[in-house]
This record gives sequence, C-alpha cells and structure tokens, in this order.
Amino acid sequence: MTTQEVRLCGLLLQEHFGGVVEKVGTHLIRSGALTLRAIVQETNMSLDLVKKSLCVLVQHGMCVFGAGRRGPGWPVEYCVCVERVLYMLRYPRYIYTAKSLYGDTGELIVEEILQRGQMTMSCAVKTVADRLTQNMEDGCSMDYSEVVSAFSNLVETHFLQRCPLVAEQGSAPPPTTSTLETAPPPPAITCPPTPESNPDCYRLPQINLRGRGKRRRSSEDGEDQRGGKKPKLDNGQPVGDEDIYWQVNFARFHLHFRDQGIISAVACKLDQTSSEIVRTMLRMSEVTTQPSAAHTQPLSANEIFRALPPSYSIGRPILDQYLTLLVDDPMEFVGKSGDSGGGMYVVNLHRALANLARATLESVVQERFGSRSARIFRLLLRKRHLEQKQVEDFAMIPAKEAKDMLYTLLSENLVQLQEIPKTPDHAPSRTFYLYTVTQLPTARMLLQRCYKTVSNLIERRLFETKENKRHLEKSQRIEAILASLQTTGAEPTQLQEVEEMITAPERQQLEALRNHINKLDSSENQVDESIFLLESYIKSAGTTR
Amino acid sequence: MAGRGRGRAQLTFNVDALGIKRGEALPPTMVKPSPLFPPMQFQPVPLQTGEAVDYMIALKQEFRASTKNLPFHIIPAKAKRDVERYTDKYQTSEPKNNTIEWTPDWNRLPKELCIRVREPQKSKAHPSMKRKKKTEIGKQEVIQKLETLQKKEEETKSDEEEENEEENKKKKREDDEEPEEENDYDDEDFEDETDYIMSYFDNGEDFGGDSDDNMDEATY
Amino acid sequence: MADVKVKKESTEPVDIENRIKELCSQFPHGITDQVIQNDMPHVEPQQRAMAINRLLSVGQLDLLRNANGLLYRLKDTQSTSKVKGSDNQEKLVYQIIEDAGNKGIWSRDIRFKSNLPLTEINKILKNLESKKLIKAVKSVAASKKKVYMLYNLQPDRSVTGGAWYSDQDFESEFVEVLNQQCFKFLQSKAEVARDSKQSPMVQRNSSFATSHEVWKYISELGISKVDLSMEDIETILNTLIFDGKVEMTIIAAKEGTVGSVDGQMKLYRGVNPIIPPTGLVKTPCGLCPVFDDCHEGGEISPSNCIYMSEWLDF
Repeated sequence: MTTQEVRLCGLLLQEHFGGVVEKVGTHLIRSGALTLRAIVQETNMSLDLVKKSLCVLVQHGMCVFGAGRRGPGWPVEYCVCVERVLYMLRYPRYIYTAKSLYGDTGELIVEEILQRGQMTMSCAVKTVADRLTQNMEDGCSMDYSEVVSAFSNLVETHFLQRCPLVAEQGSAPPPTTSTLETAPPPPAITCPPTPESNPDCYRLPQINLRGRGKRRRSSEDGEDQRGGKKPKLDNGQPVGDEDIYWQVNFARFHLHFRDQGIISAVACKLDQTSSEIVRTMLRMSEVTTQPSAAHTQPLSANEIFRALPPSYSIGRPILDQYLTLLVDDPMEFVGKSGDSGGGMYVVNLHRALANLARATLESVVQERFGSRSARIFRLLLRKRHLEQKQVEDFAMIPAKEAKDMLYTLLSENLVQLQEIPKTPDHAPSRTFYLYTVTQLPTARMLLQRCYKTVSNLIERRLFETKENKRHLEKSQRIEAILASLQTTGAEPTQLQEVEEMITAPERQQLEALRNHINKLDSSENQVDESIFLLESYIKSAGTTR
Repeated sequence: MAGRGRGRAQLTFNVDALGIKRGEALPPTMVKPSPLFPPMQFQPVPLQTGEAVDYMIALKQEFRASTKNLPFHIIPAKAKRDVERYTDKYQTSEPKNNTIEWTPDWNRLPKELCIRVREPQKSKAHPSMKRKKKTEIGKQEVIQKLETLQKKEEETKSDEEEENEEENKKKKREDDEEPEEENDYDDEDFEDETDYIMSYFDNGEDFGGDSDDNMDEATY
Repeated sequence: MADVKVKKESTEPVDIENRIKELCSQFPHGITDQVIQNDMPHVEPQQRAMAINRLLSVGQLDLLRNANGLLYRLKDTQSTSKVKGSDNQEKLVYQIIEDAGNKGIWSRDIRFKSNLPLTEINKILKNLESKKLIKAVKSVAASKKKVYMLYNLQPDRSVTGGAWYSDQDFESEFVEVLNQQCFKFLQSKAEVARDSKQSPMVQRNSSFATSHEVWKYISELGISKVDLSMEDIETILNTLIFDGKVEMTIIAAKEGTVGSVDGQMKLYRGVNPIIPPTGLVKTPCGLCPVFDDCHEGGEISPSNCIYMSEWLDF
C-alpha cells in the first residue's frame, strides 16, 4: 500500500464513518490482517469502538474476515480492502450512472445501498418508495411494484448482486488429523468468497411485498434512518427475503464506465455513427465477454447489422465501410478477426484502455509543461529510445530548449534516461545516453499523483469549512430559527429581521465558501475520472502480460 | 582548521576544481532562495461544467451530509459534558460506545463483534413494528450463554500455552459447534427493555476492562 | 510535369549552371559529364551542353582530360593567382581548406593535417580571410565552432542547418508557424470532408492530403523567405504527428504520380484527440511545481497553498 493510498483511504473513511472507523481502518490497512485483540492493543482504543468500527467496515464490504493465517479454529483476522475503500470516491458516479440508466428510482436504489453497504431487496424497495413518495405531490404515492421492477432491472443487468455468502467462521471444515502437520495454513483471508461463487448471485428472491410508499411527517425525518432496518409488511408478516442482502456490483459499473470511455473516444476520433456501432458491439458482448478479456468475443458483420438500432438507419454496405474504417484506424479500437459472416470483428478492449491511458499521460504533460514538451514526450512514446540530438531533430526544437525540456521531464520522472556504454569502462564520452518513456510505470506514477491530489482537495475542503465554521454555524442557526418561525406563521417583517442577522459581507463570504466547496467537490469527481482510466489500464496491463 | 573562521577552508570541495583561483573572491551565493511557491508555468484547465457535473456535485454533497446521520458514522461517547451546545437538542441521543445504533445481521459477522444493540429511542415512531422479536435475544438466554462461554474461554486460556496443536484444534472444533445454537436466538420471543447485552467477548486484563467511559478519556 | 517539381529539379538555365558549379566545388578534382547527367536526369542533354558551354566560355570552368576521359573543373583563377606570393605554409593551409569543400574544416583539424602550430595557423587563417580567399562560417552542429571554407563556396546544409537556420540560429518561430499552417490546412481539409456528407469511406479518403499538396499550399502562402523542399514540409508534418494532431499513412503510388517518391506516397490528415484534457490537470495539484514538497501541516500544504487559493477565487 502506498502512502498516498493509505492517506486517501483515511480521509474517505473519516468523511463517511468518522474518526473512530478511520483509525481502525487505517491501522488495518497499514498492518495487513489482524485479530480483534491485536487491533485493540495496537490502536489503544476501546474494545467496543473497535468492534463497532469493524461491524461498519464489514457491513460496507470494506473489510473481510476469515480464519487467520494459522488456520481454522484460530482467532478471526480482519483485513481492509483498500480498493473498495477508494471506491467511495466514485459514489456520485455510480449513483449518477444508475440514474441515467434506470431513472430516479434506480438512482435512489443505488444511493440507499451505497449508504448502507448492503440491504435486503424488500428494505431497499420500501425505503426508496417512501423517499419517492416524499417528493411527489400530495395524494400521490409510489407503488412498490415500480421500485421492484427497477431493482430487478439492476439485478438482471448485474449492477446489483447478492452479497457473498459468509463462510461461517466456526463451520469451516477442520483439517483432518493426518494432514495437520504438513498442510500449509489455508490463506483464508486472502481469498474471501467472491459474489460470483454464489450461483444465485443474480437471482431475485420471491418476495411477498405489496403496497405503496408512505409519506413521513417531517418531524420523523432522519429518525428512521438511524433506526432498525428489518422491514415487515404492515400486517407484520415476514416478506421472505430477510437474509438475502444485496450490494452494488462495482466491477459491473466499472465495465460500464470502461465501455462508455471507449465509445466516447471513438466518437471523438472518428464520428458519432462509428461510436454507435462500437456501442452496439459492446452491448452485444456484455454477456459473452469475460470482464478481464483483452477483446470482445468476435461478432460477425451480419450480427452487428441485425443488432443495430433501426433508428441509426445505416445500410449494410455503409456498415461495412464503417467497420473497415474502424479497423484501419491507427487507434485500433476495433479489430478484424476473420472473414466469415461478412467479416468477424472484435473490440480491442485492452488496446483501447492503453490508448486512453496514453492520451491521459500525454494530456498531463501537455497541460503541465506545454505542447512542445508534449511533442517530445509523444515522440519518445512512439520511438522508444532516442538520443538528445535525435529528439531535437525530430521535434524540431532548438538544442538548448530541448535539453531543458528533457531535463524537466526527467526530473519529474516522466522520461527516463538509459546509459548504454560502448566500452566496458563506462566512460561518459563513450556512452550512449538514450531517452525513453515507459507507459506503464508512468501511468502508475501519475495514478499516485491523482490519489495525492484528491487527498489534497479533501484537506483543502476541510480547511475551508473549518475556517468558516463560525459563519456556517450562524447561518445554520438562523435558518433553523427561520424554519421554526415559518411554521408558527410569523410576520414577514419578523422573518426579514431574522434574515438580516446575517450581514452582507457574511453572506458574501458564505457564497464564496459555497463556490469553493463546489469547485473542490467537482474536482474530486473529475480527478476520479483520471484515476478510473489509469486504474483500468494498469489492471488490464497486468492481465495481458 | 581551528582559528581559520568561516572561510573558504570550510568548503567541502576543492574550489580549484571550479576554476576559482586562490585569493579570488568566491562568486556571490546563488541569487535569492527560490520562492516557496514558484510561479506556475500554466494554469489548470477549466473544470468541466454542465448539468451532469452539477448533479454529480449535488449527489456528492448530499451523500456526505447523509452519512453523518447514518448509524455507521461512529461518534465516540463524550468524555464529559462541558457546555451545553445548541446542537445538543438536535442530537437524538448521546452516543454510547457500548451500544450499536443499527441492527447488523449477526449471522454475517464474526461472533466476537457482537455488541449491544440500541433500539431507536423514538420507538413510538414505529408502533406497529415488532422488530424486537426478530433481532433481539432473551436476557436469560444471554446470561446463560455468557456463563458457558466464559467457562470455556477460561479453559482455553489457561491451557493455551502448553496445549499442542492437535488438542487445540479439537477444542476449537468443540467451540465451533457450540455457537451454532446461538444463531437461533433470533427466534426467541422476548420483549423487554431496549438494550440487550450481546457482547460476550472476554477481553481479560489485556483490554483494561470493559468500561468505555474510562477508556474514552485515554483514547480521545 | 517538370514544372511542378521542387526547386532542385528546376530546368532554368541559371539553376543548371549553379548546380554544375556546386557539383564541381564538391569534387574539386573534377567531374565527368556522367556525374552531371546523373545529378539532373530530367535535364535535356541539349540544355546541359548549353550550360556547360556557357560556363566554359565565361572562364568559370576548365576542361581537362585524364585517363577516364573529359573532366570539368572549376577554373581556379583565384587559387593560382592569389596565393602566389604567399609562402608554402599558407599554400598548405589553403589546400587543406579547399579539400574540405563546402562542408568546411575546423581550425583544430587544419592543425592536425598541417602539423603546424595553432598560433601559426591562426595567423595564416586571418591572412587568408583578409584576402577574401577563405571565410569562416558558424556551424549549426555546435555553436561557437567555426569552420573554414573557400570564400566563393555555398556552405553545405549540414553547416547551415538548411531551411530552418538563419545564420546558425535555429528559427524556432518559423518552424512553429509552419507547423500551425500545415495543421490548419489539414484540419480544414478534414472539415470539408466531414461536411461533404458522402459515404464514410469517401469522407475519410478526401480528408487525406499528400505531402506534395501540403508543400504546394505552403509555397503558395508565401510565408517562407527560403524555398522549402517537400522533405522540409514532411519534417514539419512529422512534428504534427508528434503533437498528436496528424496521422500519416503510406500508400503505394504509381510511378510518376505527383508527390510520390519511390512508388510510395505519404498521406496526412488532421485528427482529433480521443479525450478532452484529463481531470488531473483541471486542478492546481495536477500542474503544481512543488507537489512533492506538499504535506498537510508542512510549509507547503493544501491549506496554505496559494495556487489553490488563486484557483478557488478565480
């Protein structure tokens, strides 16, 4: 775990679950796997707080537990999934995606499940129906069945999945006595059960849930959230899915993001229609292609043609032309894998990710050091190894400037220098100095920079909020007073008087704060897009090798 | 070196190598120290804007705000009440370290994490819900369980060091079977107070006792 | 066809004569007619003969005969007449410089070849320079390095740096202007193609331009004081490739097609980037020069960062 990852995890845990969970989580991240006893001892925290924190982390799928290194029967060990903790940064994007795919209902379902880590379907349906009802006109209410249908859609398209079954820590089969001496300790904690290991992972339970969302009186607001969560029908009958918990399938969302990234890259590079063809190909491959595959399963031009939405009105010969152009394009988003069926085509997923990552690196150099440094950077990416003189000649940049640029890129680790001695004595005068750019390590380095950037943005946001704490509290207090005055039907002049308790400069300062926070929040979201691309590329490069 | 003061003799390198002759004045030290924040060569690219971007900001901020009201946001119990704060009246209840404000499905968690579940205070808000039935455990049952567990724990503890692995495994296996019964506590029909002791973890001396109020001052 | 060829293939009598003189100066011992013929295959024998005859008649060329036949050599009136009177050392140095041709020679190399002391050589060089028999030319290969060559010679491209150098200074701005103009041309060509609403294949194909087309466009713009060759333009187009703005494809071309070289033709087209600037560079941290020194609680920290403050208030 890098320092930057630990720091960002800590900030995210702090933000969502408070300082107690942050302390436990950060300690676990630094230490790897620990027993409850060890955590309490090492953090010097109260046992109950550690227990509560672990409950929270496990509930949100951020902590796995299992029989320890020493095998079943020994104290349970806990381990934090850093990756999963970092996904908290991406919550707005998951929720927004659910909204764009399945409307407000989808949005609220995913939001509720993210807030609670895991939920039964019936509980999610009721909560969401209530929330939707809350926002409807008086007299209207949301039928459960509508929410059930959105929930079912999310499950059918694998955006939601059942939580993995818990390997009952007591029920793990004890090793047989004969192998006891020799058997290596099972690495229980390193491979927690995957959701997919459950054959029912995407099977919806039969639930007995009929009704409509209820409007909450405002005085109860928030109460319910802190309260229990096991729903019963109004008649007290169990719904039938009490022990089936659902979680957000982040991997599925990530595939969706990846596909969207490829589609928009094709749209930028080629045109809208080409991107729609690629969209169709990706949609057709969703079920047939492994998540980590380098390319989609081959699709024939015939199949693609039949699957194109009729609204595109692309004729068959035109489709063939588009496919040829896609294959010809140097980005090679699409490849041709055979000639049957009017030509067999694949989407080169890993190559696309590599291209997107490369464009990300180039964009960083371009914006940070200017277009001529970016020219040198791209030149080195394409030509691999070049001497300084060659760099000057290809990039058409005067020697002195090129030298400065190379030096800056070198000191920022964006460019590497290789020494190739011509003679065994390594004399500098008889040594080739070759500049080079290596994409994968550079991507890793920039990913760390992104993590640190997000941490910085969060720190700055906390700082800005702290600096304005007095103003914020005052305005909250005044708003509370206003709200209560309004309900008691106060005079408008009275209201105005209260409102004017915030002075104009204060108002201005609050407005500036709001702008700052928005900017910082939006930056977090947008840096996460860089993070997503780099993470996906690095992961794909790991599986291609 | 003594007595030569702060002169050239203190330089750690041979100035002749730099082409400076003896007796020649050293070049003035490098201009000013570089500024803490040197000017940036370029400005950041403007952030993306638009409806989607604004919506994402709102989602982020709302999510952040709501986490504070969720029971997963753990606030340690206050060591002492200093001054009454205006926010106090908005807080539904004082946080307590030794109770958990939500109802985890204990079947999905290691048993050692079990902790008292605090019922929502405003139980009148859910008058029809008989949730206790499902999620709570009979007091007597718990006490009984605690006793057996404590006994067992003590046994294991005292033997732990000497016991060889095989025996240990056997014992664990026995332990493993035991907790199975506990899963049935859900079905116990019991309705009484709101707090039930579910924590049976014996923390022994290592943990400095169970008293959170004492612990808190030290930790926070 | 010949009239659209680039400059070195011109058939203007003046150009032919100059080229012959250039050739002669490259081969100070003389060249055969075959050499001239090989160098300008497109020039009619009649034009060639006319040029040679004129040069002979105005006394700029000498006609010699050796074992291989007739040789043309630059009439070296200066060398024979002007060095007369100077001593043997001067003659030796002059000879060494003459042998170096239009690539020139560095004074240190003159010393190695002549075995004369450097002070002596410098004296001789000064002397020859004042007589305008030789000249010193700053080489682009290494600044401050002067090379010497005969006074009447046109320095080689390797010395001047070609079109991109004025004196020995690389004309960076000129390169960037050409870079922008070439891109503008390709971009507008791609736009026209896109707006043509023709079949995708036709659209793509008409977005391509050959290097010859780009060369022609730039030449007609008249932004260049010097004549640019097609290779010069291709060098510029390559910088656009490294800028990520242009793609190049090589296609086979029929011999004799305009702009084709060795049966190949280079096609260029403007392309769009596949992503907008990445999120990281939309924050000050993405561009921060003191990023690695930044720590919460440190001298440089997110809380006291002035880049952040400026950016937030912007």
